[in-house]
Amino acid sequence: MSQKFHIRLASQRVNTSIAENQRYPKIFTPGETITKQNEFMRGHGTYEDNGELKSSVAGVREQVNNLISVKPLKSRYNGEVGDIVVGRITEVQQKRWKVDTNARLDSILLLSSVNLPGGELRRRSVEDEHMMRQYLQEGDLISAEVQSVHSDGTLSLHTRSLRYGKLGQGVLLKVFPSLIQRSKTHFHNLPVGASVILGNNGFIWICPIINNSEDSVGGFVQNLEEKVPRQERESIGRIRNCIQALAMCKMMIYDTSILYAYEESLKYSIVELLVPEAMVDIAILTQHRLSMIEV
Amino acid sequence: MSKKELLSKIGLRLDGRRAHELRRIRCKLGVFTEPDGSAYMEQGLTKVLAAVYGPHQVRGSKSKAQHDNVVINCQFSMAVFSTTDRKKRPRGDRKSTELSMHLQQALESVIKTELYPWSQIDVYVEVLHADGGIYPACVNAATLALIDAGIPLKEYVCACTASLANNDVPMVDISHQEEVLGGPTLTIAALPMSGKIVLMEMSQRFHLDHLDKVMNKALQGCKDIRRILDEAVRLHVRDVGSATGWALAT
Amino acid sequence: MFTTKTFIKKTRIGHFLKHVREHYIRDDISCGFRSCEKCNPVESFLSPNHHNKCALFNYDHYIILDTNVILDQMDVLEEAPIGNVIILHTVITEVKHRSLPIYKRLFTLIENPSKHFYIFTNDHHKDTYIEQLDGELVNDYNDRCIRKACSWYMEHLPNEKFILLTEDVNNRNIAIEEGITACSIFPYVKHMNDNAVLEDKLSRKEIYLDKDARDLFPPHLNNVQLLNGIKEGTLYQGTFRASRDNFLEGFVNVEALEDQVLVQGRTGLNRAVDGDVVVVELFDKSDWISPSDIILEDEGTVEDVEEIEQKEKQLKETTTKKGEIKPTGKVVGIIRRKWRQYCGILQGGLEGVYQLFVPADRSIPKIRIETRQAEFLKTQKLIVTIDSWPRYSRYPHGHFVRALGKIGDQSTENEVILLEHDVPHSQFSEEVLSCLPKLPWIITDEDLQKRVDLRDLDICSVDPPGCTDIDDALHCREVGDHLEVGVHIADVSHFIRPYTALDLEAQSRGTTVYLVNKRIDMVPNLLSSNLCSLRGGEERFAFSCIWEMDKKANILNTRFHKSIIKSKKAMTYEEAQMTIDDKSKNDNIAKSLRYLLMLSKILKKGRLDNGALVLASPEVKIMMDSETMEPLDIEVKKMFETMSMVEEFMLLANISVAEKILQDFPECACLRRHPVPPSSNFDPLIKAGRHLGLEINVESGKELAKSLDEAVKPDNPFLNTMIRILATRCMLQAVYFASGTMQKEDYFHYGLAVPLYTHFTSPIRRYADIIVHRLLAVSCGSDVTYPDLLDKAKTSEICQNLNYRNRMAQYAGRASIAFNTHLFFKGKLQDEQGYILYVRKNALQVLIPKYGLESTLYLARKGESSDIFEYNEEDQTQRAKDVVLHAFDPVKVRLSLNSDNIQHEKFVLQLVSPYIEGFSVPPIEEMDTSETNIESGKKRKKDGNEKKSKSKKNSKNTN
Repeated sequence: MSQKFHIRLASQRVNTSIAENQRYPKIFTPGETITKQNEFMRGHGTYEDNGELKSSVAGVREQVNNLISVKPLKSRYNGEVGDIVVGRITEVQQKRWKVDTNARLDSILLLSSVNLPGGELRRRSVEDEHMMRQYLQEGDLISAEVQSVHSDGTLSLHTRSLRYGKLGQGVLLKVFPSLIQRSKTHFHNLPVGASVILGNNGFIWICPIINNSEDSVGGFVQNLEEKVPRQERESIGRIRNCIQALAMCKMMIYDTSILYAYEESLKYSIVELLVPEAMVDIAILTQHRLSMIEV
Repeated sequence: MSKKELLSKIGLRLDGRRAHELRRIRCKLGVFTEPDGSAYMEQGLTKVLAAVYGPHQVRGSKSKAQHDNVVINCQFSMAVFSTTDRKKRPRGDRKSTELSMHLQQALESVIKTELYPWSQIDVYVEVLHADGGIYPACVNAATLALIDAGIPLKEYVCACTASLANNDVPMVDISHQEEVLGGPTLTIAALPMSGKIVLMEMSQRFHLDHLDKVMNKALQGCKDIRRILDEAVRLHVRDVGSATGWALAT
Repeated sequence: MFTTKTFIKKTRIGHFLKHVREHYIRDDISCGFRSCEKCNPVESFLSPNHHNKCALFNYDHYIILDTNVILDQMDVLEEAPIGNVIILHTVITEVKHRSLPIYKRLFTLIENPSKHFYIFTNDHHKDTYIEQLDGELVNDYNDRCIRKACSWYMEHLPNEKFILLTEDVNNRNIAIEEGITACSIFPYVKHMNDNAVLEDKLSRKEIYLDKDARDLFPPHLNNVQLLNGIKEGTLYQGTFRASRDNFLEGFVNVEALEDQVLVQGRTGLNRAVDGDVVVVELFDKSDWISPSDIILEDEGTVEDVEEIEQKEKQLKETTTKKGEIKPTGKVVGIIRRKWRQYCGILQGGLEGVYQLFVPADRSIPKIRIETRQAEFLKTQKLIVTIDSWPRYSRYPHGHFVRALGKIGDQSTENEVILLEHDVPHSQFSEEVLSCLPKLPWIITDEDLQKRVDLRDLDICSVDPPGCTDIDDALHCREVGDHLEVGVHIADVSHFIRPYTALDLEAQSRGTTVYLVNKRIDMVPNLLSSNLCSLRGGEERFAFSCIWEMDKKANILNTRFHKSIIKSKKAMTYEEAQMTIDDKSKNDNIAKSLRYLLMLSKILKKGRLDNGALVLASPEVKIMMDSETMEPLDIEVKKMFETMSMVEEFMLLANISVAEKILQDFPECACLRRHPVPPSSNFDPLIKAGRHLGLEINVESGKELAKSLDEAVKPDNPFLNTMIRILATRCMLQAVYFASGTMQKEDYFHYGLAVPLYTHFTSPIRRYADIIVHRLLAVSCGSDVTYPDLLDKAKTSEICQNLNYRNRMAQYAGRASIAFNTHLFFKGKLQDEQGYILYVRKNALQVLIPKYGLESTLYLARKGESSDIFEYNEEDQTQRAKDVVLHAFDPVKVRLSLNSDNIQHEKFVLQLVSPYIEGFSVPPIEEMDTSETNIESGKKRKKDGNEKKSKSKKNSKNTN
């Protein structure tokens, strides 16, 4: 197979900005005074100095009643209860695992928060502690839900549902957390032949279609032996490239945008999608379609 | 040997600027996709890249983690091709270590460290072309990268150099040629809006009488730089924000 | 508006480095015309009132100059008729690069508002900036920039006319094609009104093609060959120094070689001028010769070669390969010319436009100039500068710059001396005078608070008669068992504040210059003779150095502070001496003087024990007639004990202050050192001593002092003085330096045998003392520092300038005395006692102590060798039958002045005694008894001379 090499100079960078001319809300930059009145409560991204309320990040102001906060464009993932996340096991400790979720601090997955293989519901015994490694090892990918947030910001995860658990064959994609739109469900089965998990922490997992009705064993089993057919691989690849394109142009990622992007991308071959111009092209077209819907 | 005048009789410097003018500044945020925040800054011919990772779990020894503050880890390095003579060691030599420490000092004063106990923020700065004023360019680039990463700051920290020409006229933003030919160079890192000075450093000596005016010139330079950086940040936020459809605002 | 300039430079190691520089282009640069509305108003001297009148262009125009015009024709540009000139920044940078002195002169022109010059920064202006094309030569690029600027001006101000003056033919042609009016400076000046003076000043580099021109000199190698030769080591680079006595000989000082390289003859010198940086090629060792002992002068008047060939032959005959063989070679190329302006006169006897100019400086060859004012200029002293020296021309070509005044006039002579020695002697400018305090000057309460009040002390000053600038005053009183001695120096630094115009002017002058009848002050009269001068009976500010010492002159305590004093009396040396000697006087002043004298004697002894040198030089004082300003009499200065007394305390004060300022300012203290002379300097002294059977030990200062003390011969009392005079000539100059620039061992002052010394006691006439005052004031807490004071590099720079000015002042003083001595002897004929200083091949160097004169007694006519005298080189004697003349022998000579050559009036000496037949002249008074003398002269033995001469000439003998 012949392979194409693309060599690009930094000076030939493609402008990935696809901003539209819209009205801009007021942007605040660090050190800028938001308001001088002190009846407001301070939220995230603000601090008080000399009786004035000042912004500490660059972003847009949010006001809920009299709570003012400034939301930055990008930041590390700040977990909230009920979020779906995709994470990687970094450590196996006594009675718990440490999971890297692209947040400030590593999240914790307690032994008591997972479904034991076999679906048993029993007290965790000492043997289970020894067998932790057999369930999840360092380097494994899991999908989980945030159970609670500790006082220092550490997230506590649980996988107490058949939907969550160890992840098998698929593609992991990391984007900025702020690009993932909050929606009701983060597990999508795309009609194009792949399913996607949009973790709130910016980790996106693309895999072949999950059949929920499968005799799942609580998600601890990785189906690494089954051979995924070529076509599915291609669609997975294409979806990955589309999401990458959207991320590069800083567009919000949710099921609709992915689908549109996928459709727009059909005119390119999967490999061509990696070329920056193609990415920008898709993104612009997707944006166009999305805006048409809004109208 | 021709003795070059740093400031000619008409008031122009060696490169055609006047004494109070800064060099051309160009900057861009979000140049990398991997780090949480990144920025590229050009001040004259000096080019600097900054990348910020964090805040994240403290890597390495747990003992480094502090219970009430975030640990800031700075690393400064110069590319081997950044100076006229190829540098043998890009990092780890005395100058790099010293500048890393200075950078850390400057950033610590402005990052709201109390928000992130047990975490660590990494700042990496790389100089691609050194033409005078490396430290200020690094500080400015690091500020932009931090803002890009969404880390809360008290305000911008900007840095600028100033020097004396003809022994009595202060000049701002010194290029490499002027540094070599001229006299002492004063570097100031400050918080322009509140006027607080974070770091002050001088290369040679000059008489106390001159300190005031040189310092004021440098502070003015910092203020001017802040305005330019602010512009750049707003532009960037606008771009990205509108691309995301301002979904964040809702 | 930002571009970058990239260029590649080669480092010393041979690597190639690429340099990238920023280059900003602005839009706020003004064209300089006040009438222009498009540009910002800016201060500019261009004026519509000045009109350049030239017949070629019948309209008012502004001139734009090219670099070559500025470099070559500076003198023309400085003339008044040329004005309204626009200088482009490209041009200025090029001029600065090529010639710093011309650049400085250009700058003075630009700053002068009446000349109407304006600098236009064309390389930063957005409309006139053009990029250098690939492969374009720098010169072409500059030319293009200049033309672009011209066209821009023409567009920008369509109502004004601009002329481009350039010598580059190419540039001119292209400019004319582009529509710019261009012209060469020669036709421009030719067609100007009142152009006579201007035309003379045109420097000509054109070649006159004489029909029979043949090359008199070998060609110079080109630059590449020179540099290659130096790199390979076959050629050497050095500075050429012409010999003053022999115009066909010179030396090249090469750093790499220890000895100087001797160059002789036309081919050897090959058009090198004193001071040039040249390249020499050494001959084989077998061809090395010794420097000639004869004195040759250039007496040629015409451009012919025969005369010079004759002289060359003579030179060859007299040079030997014996004796002091020096490395010999020939000049093959010139790296850099050090041509400057020379004073002198026109050589008489030539008619026409082409004249020969004879410089006053003997080491410079004659210069050929072109002038239309020949008749007038022959009466004047002139300033001329050299333009070029083509191969076929015997003399260099130059042009006249200006006339100084009538030859022989006292004031002209003074002017010449001052100019030749680069002494700034113009009137103090308005700016400087405005820095002076206003009269009447009173002492305020504030002053009293800051200073110690010493007005009731019995202070007095002792100075030469007629002295108006009194720097120093002394006092001494008993304090218990001990003595308190105080030296009070005028507080000049209080009046001269740093960075004022007054300070800068004083800094530039460096010292007060003393000519015979004129004194060029360093500071204006109001300060030097009035407010700073410690006049008797007046309250004055002073800087005091007070010691507490015991009666054996051991210092117990030193303190310094600023004070107010009231000198009781300003005495002369003679008065002070008389007061001390007069036993009837017993007032405080007399008592303190006596104490001071006693202490000074102890101090002096201490110094001499340490190895301080007592040297001698034939110093004279000239008495002037106040009306005619003619010299009345010349006499050797009389020495009084009180002179030594004052001197000792000044030395002590200087040493104490040096210690204090070094302690507080180890880096930037301004000190004075006297380097130890290299042993080779002492060779003539040792040789001379050896001939007399005296051993002069020069191991250390102490040994030398001892040897000098012991060098006495009972039969020749003046011998010791002469040996000391010779010793003085071996010394190096004492110099100022900044303490941080030398190692501690090098601070040593050889002559005074002290480890540390500075100048503190004469701030009115020396700038170094003012700096020391300022440093000391900071040490005492009476004053604040200022940036330059603490800057080691700046202090070092100032010291260099002071050393230079001091040297020049000394030379100027001596030249003035020499001139006045000549004036005194004009038309006189006198017999005087003299001593032989050294013996040369064809002459004797004779010292006449009465007048402090040293002159040459020729033993043979010029160009001939003597048939009467036999020269013995090893013994350094001349023998004429029975009479042998050695060094240090006393002789009697007849002194007269030969005024044939106005610029170089020479003393002519003729030998009277010892009498040598066929050579000596009979003494004036004994002309009739000459017969008997000749008889007795023949019978005279070798060493019997002295007794005879002494007995005969009692009446004429002086000390």
